Amino acid sequence: MKKESLYKIDERQARRPFTVPQGYFENLTQNIMASLPEQESIYSSKIIVTPWMRIRPYLYAAAAFAGIFFCLKAAVGINSRNNEAQYAQAEETTIYSDEYIDSFLETAMINDYTLYYTLVESGN
Amino acid sequence: MMAYDERRILEMLREDDISRRRAFESIVNNFSEQLYWQIRHMVLSHDDANDILQNTFIKAWTNIDSFMGYSRISTWLYRIAVNETLTFLNRQKTTVPLDTDEDGELSIADRLESDPYFDGDLTERQLQEAIATLPDKQRMVFNMKYFNEMKYEEISEVLGTSVGALKASFHIAVKKIEEYFNNID
Repeated sequence: MKKESLYKIDERQARRPFTVPQGYFENLTQNIMASLPEQESIYSSKIIVTPWMRIRPYLYAAAAFAGIFFCLKAAVGINSRNNEAQYAQAEETTIYSDEYIDSFLETAMINDYTLYYTLVESGN
Repeated sequence: MMAYDERRILEMLREDDISRRRAFESIVNNFSEQLYWQIRHMVLSHDDANDILQNTFIKAWTNIDSFMGYSRISTWLYRIAVNETLTFLNRQKTTVPLDTDEDGELSIADRLESDPYFDGDLTERQLQEAIATLPDKQRMVFNMKYFNEMKYEEISEVLGTSVGALKASFHIAVKKIEEYFNNID
């Protein structure tokens, strides 16, 4: 075979020089199927489903939701308590100087009775 | 025998044992011949090709549950066949050849001449001899492309090699065969 023949290779002039015994391909599928071992599918295995197995996923889902709910509730509760405490502290620690109160009273045009009444009403 | 419908076959493979067997039978029926020729061109002997083909399908059947359908069934089967063939060839290289004459090992051309399942002429025997000088993987690429007329993209899926590398490999294989024939002359 010279170069010219090899160019035929590129031009797909391939011929299959092999043969097989007579009837080989006719019986091939049967022969191969007969040689396969028995095998049970993982998909066809019989699984007995108990009532517990049936409700288990729902219970797990409910438990997960309950867990999330309580976590959120706890987080929100702590936050609101913190806010209240901060408020209370802020109210308690607001201290006005005497000069400020005097100047306020002078400009507010309120008498002692009104001031006393206001303090009693506000609980101070 | 049911018609080959890959989607339906994949569904049936996940059903009961009877459906699985029927689906696999359809796979065997559809791919056994092309796989046989792929193997036969590598190992040359009909008996060896038949054994490797059987092993390929047994391996596919025993691992069918692990086939997830990410690739086509044909690609998956070709991969198994390629691995089985390469394992066979490696084992063959390490064992002492039985068909040797006084001068040593018989040439492939001589072996083919006495093979009742080879009907090629001298040039075709020499071509097989030339192909046999190629490294296993290059030979695989050459056979898939030349005899089985597979597309580079298909070969790429089976061998996990880029199309560019396959084209280069085929080109080198043709050059080597050409050189082999030039040396004969």
